[in-house]
Amino acid sequence: MRVAILSESEYDEGAVRILIDGILGSSTEPVPVPVARNGWASVRIILPVAIKHLHYGTGAEALVVGVDSDDSPVHQPIHNPLSGAYQECRVCQLHAVVANTEGQLRRISGRPRMKIGIGMAVPAIEAWYRCGIDPHATEAAWIQALQSKIYPYTRVSLKEAVYGVSRPSRVLKTGRGTEEARRLVQDLLFLEQWFPSGFGLLAEGVRNWEA
Amino acid sequence: MIESVQFRNFRVLRDTTLPLSRFTLLLGPNGSGKSTALQALEAVQRRLSESGGWVRFEQVITTGLAVSEATEVEVLLCWSAPCAGMTTQVIWSQSFPKSTVKHVNSEGEGPSPQDGGPLSAMLAGIRVYSLDATQIAAGVRLVPSMELGRGGAHLAGVLDRLRDDAPERFKALNEEWGRWLPEFDQILFDTVGEGVRAFRLRTRQGHYAMPASDLSQGTLLALAILTLAYLPNPPAMVCFEEPDRGIHPRLLRDVQDALYRLSYPESFGETRPPVQVLATTHSPYFLDLHRDHPEEVVIASRIGQEARFERLSDRRDLEEILGDAPLSEVWYSGILGGVPVER
Repeated sequence: MRVAILSESEYDEGAVRILIDGILGSSTEPVPVPVARNGWASVRIILPVAIKHLHYGTGAEALVVGVDSDDSPVHQPIHNPLSGAYQECRVCQLHAVVANTEGQLRRISGRPRMKIGIGMAVPAIEAWYRCGIDPHATEAAWIQALQSKIYPYTRVSLKEAVYGVSRPSRVLKTGRGTEEARRLVQDLLFLEQWFPSGFGLLAEGVRNWEA
Repeated sequence: MIESVQFRNFRVLRDTTLPLSRFTLLLGPNGSGKSTALQALEAVQRRLSESGGWVRFEQVITTGLAVSEATEVEVLLCWSAPCAGMTTQVIWSQSFPKSTVKHVNSEGEGPSPQDGGPLSAMLAGIRVYSLDATQIAAGVRLVPSMELGRGGAHLAGVLDRLRDDAPERFKALNEEWGRWLPEFDQILFDTVGEGVRAFRLRTRQGHYAMPASDLSQGTLLALAILTLAYLPNPPAMVCFEEPDRGIHPRLLRDVQDALYRLSYPESFGETRPPVQVLATTHSPYFLDLHRDHPEEVVIASRIGQEARFERLSDRRDLEEILGDAPLSEVWYSGILGGVPVER
């Protein structure tokens, strides 16, 4: 399957691909997304351009979009992305962008619609990397922290825990991410259990691609 | 490390303090004192080194200031651990036009500049770089100790020394350079005159050795920055005038890595002491890379005839203002200051 990945940093995308391959049970063929991105805001802005490029300019069968929740609300299954009721939820915002962009696309005969999956790391992808290592690295713990304003970790401290340094290099980020993804892919249900909304819903959606 | 630098009557820096971290990104409009701050550090360096070229009172006094016998220009450097509590005071006056220097603790005592030990050594080790492609590309007559010049001159000699004195570092530099610009795979050398060394870059495809003079400006500037980051004994403090200049925005994450290699060596497996880095910029792309570390960002503003500095993380409303927006967009909007005054 030809799959493109768009996340907040290109350095995370190797790890995300390992997880997607694990969900699908087979190796995907990478489709490059030649757009610069740096953080949530840039993903939101460039997503329509990326979808159009992949639709018209490549044979991509699927796109996986991954963002961090940072301090925004954690996506919940009860959210209805198209109702506009959860405007602060990043997953809902991205679903709305996808729906709007897909509505503008000209169909290409013989090509099925590109499948799109959206995942959200809570609060950052480094929390996924800590899953199974740090018992506080869970979605539930972060949701509680958002409510109580008492945080078990910060995005910066998560990075330090994963990379061992406060300012990881590109090589270190890519290498550690890949390493942790290889560990996580051994038991994806564990990651789904502790990150049910951000990763679980993505995994469920990706599994449905095969149907 | 220098924790902060207080300026008084130093050109446009009439009365302000520049807070510094291990790495500091200084941004603001033209004329807001960014380069002046670097020049002040360079003036201190000259005063404490044996290189000569001391800066004089009339070169640094604020333009238009009524000058009397009592008028002073002051640069006060406050030190953090392991020299916390120490300050270095550099004062220019009509009586001492080439400045006086004092290292003092809170009780007013301290070593003389000549015996200043680590403080004087650190200050003498400040280097300011305003890189220039022509100087970087030029051949150099080899001498035993090669140092990168202010504009990047002598790069061929510095690389030549690195290859011979620290071959593992030279190899690592080559590999990193190949990641920055994959079209090249090797730094090569050429003797272009008697004892004159130049460098070439070999293309990955076809193995063509391109002379430095044929390389783009951005390529040359990027190579000079990366080389500094891989030196076994870099200067104690490096100040860059716009290290992003001429470099494609998508390469800026790598430039940031190179600067962090200097200032956070432990993050890169280096065992040498950290280098304090101060870089100026006008690049919103470069700024965005520091979103997670607002303590590293200082915004310079021009208010009338004076320039002021403010550390971004000192703004109490920062997170509320930023929200989900890119830092660059918010800065560009002017809300954070550090933009040209509206006419």
